[in-house]
Amino acid sequence: MTTAQMVVLVVDDERPLRDFVRRNLDIRGYQVRMAGNGLEALAEFRQSNIDLVVLDLMMPHMDGLETIRRIRQTSDVPIIVLSAMDEEDDKIRALQLGADDYLTKPFGVGELLARIDAVMRRAQWRPWTSTTTSRLIHDRLTVDLERHQVLLNNDPLELTPIEFELLVYLMENAGKVLTHRAILQHVWGEEYGQESEYLRVYIGRLRQKIEDDPAHPRYLVTERGVGYLFNA
Amino acid sequence: MNTRPIFPLRRDLSVQLIILFAAFMTAVLIAAMVFLQRASQDLEADIGSSDLALAHAIAEETTTFLDSALETVTQLAEYPEVITVDTSGMDAIFQSVMSARPDINLTYRLDAQGLMVFHHPIGPESTVGTDFSFRSYFQQAKTTREPLISLGRISPTTQQPVATAVMPMWIDDVFQGLVATNLKLQFLSDTLTNIMTTAAADRSANTAIVDAGGQIVAHSDPSFILQTVSDRYPPSLVDEMRGESGNFIASDPTGEYLYSYVPIANIDWSVVVSRPTSVAFSVLNLFRQGVLAVLIVFAISGILFWAVLSRRVIQPIERLANFSQGSWLERDESSEMVTALGQLTARRDQMGVLTRSLQSMQAAIEARLNELSTLLKTSTVVVSSLETQVVLDRILEQVEELLQVRMSAIFVLDESSNTFRIRASRNLPGWYADRVRIDPQDPDSATMRTIRSGEPVHISDTETDPTYAHNRQRSRLAGYRAILAIRLPVQHVRPSALLVYRSDPDTFTEREIRLLTNFANYATMAIENAALFDRSDTHLQEQTQRLEALIQSMRDGVVLENSAGKILYANRSVQDLTGLDYETIHNKPITALVEAILSRTKDRDSIQRQIDEALSGQGIRRVEYAQIGEEKPRYLRLSLFSVSDKEETLIGRGWIIQDITQRYELDRMKSNLVATVSHELRTPLASIKGYTTTLLADDVEWDTQSQREFLTTILQETDRLSSLVQDLLDMSRIEAGNLKINPISSDVPKLIEQAALHATPPPGNRLALNLPHDLPPMFLDPQRVEAVLRNLIENAAKYCPDDAPITVSATYDNENLVISVEDQGPGIPTEMTSQVFESFYRVDNGMTRKTTGAGLGLAIARGFVQAHGGEIWLEPRPKGTCVTFSIPVAVTAEVSE
Repeated sequence: MTTAQMVVLVVDDERPLRDFVRRNLDIRGYQVRMAGNGLEALAEFRQSNIDLVVLDLMMPHMDGLETIRRIRQTSDVPIIVLSAMDEEDDKIRALQLGADDYLTKPFGVGELLARIDAVMRRAQWRPWTSTTTSRLIHDRLTVDLERHQVLLNNDPLELTPIEFELLVYLMENAGKVLTHRAILQHVWGEEYGQESEYLRVYIGRLRQKIEDDPAHPRYLVTERGVGYLFNA
Repeated sequence: MNTRPIFPLRRDLSVQLIILFAAFMTAVLIAAMVFLQRASQDLEADIGSSDLALAHAIAEETTTFLDSALETVTQLAEYPEVITVDTSGMDAIFQSVMSARPDINLTYRLDAQGLMVFHHPIGPESTVGTDFSFRSYFQQAKTTREPLISLGRISPTTQQPVATAVMPMWIDDVFQGLVATNLKLQFLSDTLTNIMTTAAADRSANTAIVDAGGQIVAHSDPSFILQTVSDRYPPSLVDEMRGESGNFIASDPTGEYLYSYVPIANIDWSVVVSRPTSVAFSVLNLFRQGVLAVLIVFAISGILFWAVLSRRVIQPIERLANFSQGSWLERDESSEMVTALGQLTARRDQMGVLTRSLQSMQAAIEARLNELSTLLKTSTVVVSSLETQVVLDRILEQVEELLQVRMSAIFVLDESSNTFRIRASRNLPGWYADRVRIDPQDPDSATMRTIRSGEPVHISDTETDPTYAHNRQRSRLAGYRAILAIRLPVQHVRPSALLVYRSDPDTFTEREIRLLTNFANYATMAIENAALFDRSDTHLQEQTQRLEALIQSMRDGVVLENSAGKILYANRSVQDLTGLDYETIHNKPITALVEAILSRTKDRDSIQRQIDEALSGQGIRRVEYAQIGEEKPRYLRLSLFSVSDKEETLIGRGWIIQDITQRYELDRMKSNLVATVSHELRTPLASIKGYTTTLLADDVEWDTQSQREFLTTILQETDRLSSLVQDLLDMSRIEAGNLKINPISSDVPKLIEQAALHATPPPGNRLALNLPHDLPPMFLDPQRVEAVLRNLIENAAKYCPDDAPITVSATYDNENLVISVEDQGPGIPTEMTSQVFESFYRVDNGMTRKTTGAGLGLAIARGFVQAHGGEIWLEPRPKGTCVTFSIPVAVTAEVSE
């Protein structure tokens, strides 16, 4: 997929901001669709074949969170949140609902473009090719790297690309404590490093999927203040 | 309880006695054995000596006999007829000798060759001419000139056992033969028999004379004669006889014998006296048996004595010890024990006396214990209340039970009348209790006498007691004949006395008087306790009521839980806050309260966990939760704290339940404010930074028009930012109270027009004006009033649908300018009408951002209106919103520019 073909839906109730994003994406070859609130965004999303959603949270009629939730009911399209709210809780809520990235206002155009690149890169991951092994097996958990498939007790699990990446990275380093920064840079991209709330959300999701008792994880262990460890 | 008590052996009386007895018996036995040994030795020696004496006597007798025989032959040898072998001469001589000597049965003469030359008597068979040179005595005679006695043998001449007395005859050293007499051994034996008959007391003794050749030559039993001694006696005798005289004991198949032997001087013969030891030592044996019998009798009587002592003294003492070891206090002795003690009691000796006195002691102690227990029981009942009247009534109840009296009363000094009156009574007629007054000076009154003296006063019969003469009528009517009055030794209450009555003339026993006196002490304690409690209780009640009022009036709920986790107290507010009333939860486990709290929360598990943590924590612990179930959620804070007494001992836990809804709302508003301001500041900043970075981006070349557009937007957003900052500054001035207005003459319709023009979003053609034609210019601060109007119009434009009209109306009544802005929007919920003018309050929830702006509009509007001395309010409308403000203004002639 090239940028020329990419359709980006920009949703913000603030016209100046919306325009700023549109102008920048336009000139860089993206096709841009616009919406002033969540309802318009959903309508646009259904009509067009959208490759990326850039979304504000605080909007009239339907807020950004609800919009993400609705989109996620039908689509895995990458979503980047743009918001003036910089509380960790806000970010976590958005990520938990399915946002792929969260950009706090104000931000520069370079940062926006870099995030868009990173999100698109992650969304377009190809099936894994490993030089060493094509399978990671731990206890009841089997990861087939070639087929991009994870089996728990031989039952296939539905993992998003990020979840898959995260699990594979942790399993490959089983028994080692991996720092927040290391994980973020490896899984999300070089631009990341401070977004530990992303990890909280994704580790939480992985635990829901692979742990018997997510409240008392057996595999994915938190090393408080440091990072995470796949318990070998 | 009747098992024998275990004593250490050295302390057990019966063991001590038996050891003593055994020691005594041992000593006696040893003494008896020593004595027996000594006595036996002496007796044996005596018996031996007596036998030896007998043997000596026989030896002497035999010696005499033999000496006489030897003398006879010596004399015979001197006869010439004999020497010359004159047969006829010899016959006469021999005949005379034999007639004189009955013990000689043959006298004869042998020649030098040993041939018998003559013997007397001659018949029946003659051995004359027979050679007897082979005889040992002949051979012996040839070697000696002394007479000798031959060994015993059977005489061939007389055919009788004989020993021969031989006298060798020599003439000038020429052996002439010998003259001899045969001594009848039977004669010796007869002599022995005679001696034995006379000398020996018992006939069991045998006596023998043994010649030098070991033949028995005489014996008390003639059949022994000429038997070899070793055939008839134990071989040891033959050995023994070689020595001096002596005794020894030897056995043969017929039994054990004591042998005594004595050698006979000169002729190498011996006398042997033998007796069966059974006979010889019969006295000794008897003596031994006697001693043994005495010992056995002694031992048996000792055992009997011990048995009797044990049965009659030790066992009873043990029983008494058992009995006295406390088991009797428990009153569960077995029938065995009772029977045993009964038997002991029946005895007439010292044991009986001891048992009886122990039993009577026991009975006395039991009686005393019963009394004490009754007293304790009754006093327990009496002190179980702290209400004076109840205490008095109970005292009388217990007195009735204690002494079996029907009537009783307590007299107490009535200070108002200075008489003693009945404060409580039992079974006395009502009039008696009401009317009886006792003058403290009354010398005869039983009550006064006991109160004065402190001693019990006893009137056994009111009919005969002289001191009772003037009250006799009273006692007859009330129906009593005997009185016992006892002073209650009170110190902190008025003087009192306890009186008991009996309907029959009856003497209260010493025991009853003592019992009642003791009881009076307990009763006094109870009365004083009640009185003191009464005093302290009143004080305490006042304090408690004050505290109770205070706690009940608190808006916070207060719950007190005891250390067992039961609810002791809850104030009124608890019901309001949790729905549980005090009656329902009093004394219930605290979990009832927790359950009530949890049942009205959304996140039950989490709150449960927080409460559990708080319960296990220290110090003051807090849990905040939202209570659902009512119209609006209520935010409550649960604070737990430990309750300790003065000694810091934990005695329970306090729970405070506070309604923090208002504080919570305030907090929420504050955080909304920060979020809103932050959002409102960041939004224009986002555009500014976005466009600035866009312009600075290296990878894109923007055309001039675009650059201009970007810069215009940056400018607009900068204005927006500064306007917001202006609003914030205004708001802070309003809140600080130092906002200043500059009233000038202003044209109100123009202000409205400008406000509509500057409003964002603009109302456009939705705006309808309803203004009086003759609205004059007025003194007001046009900037501020325009700001108020702009805010109201903006709000209307923001909140109502795009096609709904917005109406601005104005009226003027010489003093006040009144302006309303009305829209047909969704309106403001009634419950929020009071809050819309608060700063940063916006009728919003969640992230749905219906409007832009910081929510300062209405607050600033109110601040500006109030700065003019006016008011702003919401007009109630069934639909839409209508905000009205009025400003006192003066009309001016012209409008200032």
